[in-house]
Amino acid sequence: MIEELGDATLKRIEYLGRFARFINHGSRCSVLSLVQPRSYPLIWSQMNAIGVGSVPVIMITGAFVGMVLAIQAYDQLAGMGLEERLGVLINISVVKELGPVLAAVMLAGRVGGALTAELGTMNVTEQIAAIRSMGIDPVKYLVAPRVLACLLLTPLLIIYADLLGILGGYFVSVIQLGINSRAYWDFSAQAVELWDVVTGSLKGLFFGGAIAIIGCYKGFTCREGAQGVGEACTEAFVGSFISILVINFIYAVVTKSIFLTFWPIKSLL
Amino acid sequence: MIRAAIDNNSGIIVVRELTKRYDERLVLDNVSVAIEKGKTTVIIGRSGCGKTVLMKHMIVLERPSSGEVYFKGQRIDHLSEKQLAEIRRQYGFCFQMSALFDSLTVYENIIFPIQQKQKITDWKAMDELVKGKLAMVGMDGFQQQYPASLSGGQKKRVALARAIALDPEVIMYDEPTTGLDPVRSDIINELILKLKHELHVTSIVVTHDMNSAYKIADRIIMFHNGKIIADGDAEHIRNHPNPTVQEFIHGKVSEAELAALRLGGTRYNTQYSPEDFK
Repeated sequence: MIEELGDATLKRIEYLGRFARFINHGSRCSVLSLVQPRSYPLIWSQMNAIGVGSVPVIMITGAFVGMVLAIQAYDQLAGMGLEERLGVLINISVVKELGPVLAAVMLAGRVGGALTAELGTMNVTEQIAAIRSMGIDPVKYLVAPRVLACLLLTPLLIIYADLLGILGGYFVSVIQLGINSRAYWDFSAQAVELWDVVTGSLKGLFFGGAIAIIGCYKGFTCREGAQGVGEACTEAFVGSFISILVINFIYAVVTKSIFLTFWPIKSLL
Repeated sequence: MIRAAIDNNSGIIVVRELTKRYDERLVLDNVSVAIEKGKTTVIIGRSGCGKTVLMKHMIVLERPSSGEVYFKGQRIDHLSEKQLAEIRRQYGFCFQMSALFDSLTVYENIIFPIQQKQKITDWKAMDELVKGKLAMVGMDGFQQQYPASLSGGQKKRVALARAIALDPEVIMYDEPTTGLDPVRSDIINELILKLKHELHVTSIVVTHDMNSAYKIADRIIMFHNGKIIADGDAEHIRNHPNPTVQEFIHGKVSEAELAALRLGGTRYNTQYSPEDFK
């Protein structure tokens, strides 16, 4: 029993060590790729597949988040006569939390799964070994462009989700629920700061990085066969999803501390 | 003829006292072998006996649990992936499943190793080079096709063209005829011989196809349970006294295995003996 527990612990530590080395190698290759113009075509093609291809699904997610928030929050606020402040609640929620997190979750499903499936299939069909046998670093060729594409485009995709969330909320609040348009925007503008928009979008850097590196690692280490690839995809999605939630929490704590340091009075208002 | 003891310069590739374990499973058991330059060495043995693992150690795609690997007298098994890059470019590796990149055309697959090594400026010369490599394997005209549209034999030939793109000194073939019909297998055998004669390369072939082994080999090494049990030319292997070698080359199952198969049958409770109906 103790032997089994020790064995499992050692295996877990070994796994974490391998993952940490993969992150280190992947990060170094990504930085190198940024300064090597020869890598740009690879990065562009991944940006197209990962970023451009995700725009519709991210916009739909954002729009529905905004609309649902309007529907759910209206009754509570109207009961207190505060329905004109509905925009504050919707836009703060969308810009700070729901837009970035739900956009990242959608990306984890769409992009993370696809990355793992693609690299996992390459792994089991020995394409990754073939790259190594040619004296080429597969992490530099396969992982770096994907990490950079996710890292750079997730913040932009979050802005799309925010935009559609705001428009969706506006559509339901003003056109369906009859809230005064001027009041809706005025209250929203007073409450939503540039800080909220910027920190909300910049979360995407961390979310995107986590989705790409977990997806790639699971693909690189997946077991043989269709079942191996399937399991790797599931593990990649679950891992990315949990990472998004953990990163979001840590990020909230850190950004709040920074905000309190620079604007101690503002935070009380 | 019995060979002399192996030292680091005994051949272009030298493996010394190589042992490989995956967890508790022993795959290579203290293997020592020297691969001669310019010759075709064929490694035969049953599926799962460790022959592909041995070949992958020769290019350090796998790291040994213990033992050493030398290439042209230089120890390579302990080098970093970065240090190995230059050495690996002197090898061409044909994988069992061809391992062509699905997302690239045949043309892009062949220029891939070159493109990753240097910036291509003279595309006309590159077109000529690709044409030449594909012509060598009889696949000229397939440049713009994707691997998905090729047959198994065609994929193997394109993989061969890609393996020779950087003019390697050593070409490794992992089960090159597996999954092909006899005619296509023979085309691959002829190609291996052609490349050996035209490019003067050292070839290492892992196979369990004895027709192929007899046809292309200068030397045949038989592997069994992670150890070399026979090593010599085709004639030597044909007449080898070891029963395991004879069973393998004639494709016969041993008496012990037959007995195990018989014992493995299922006996049903509802069976009747002929006496029950009398």
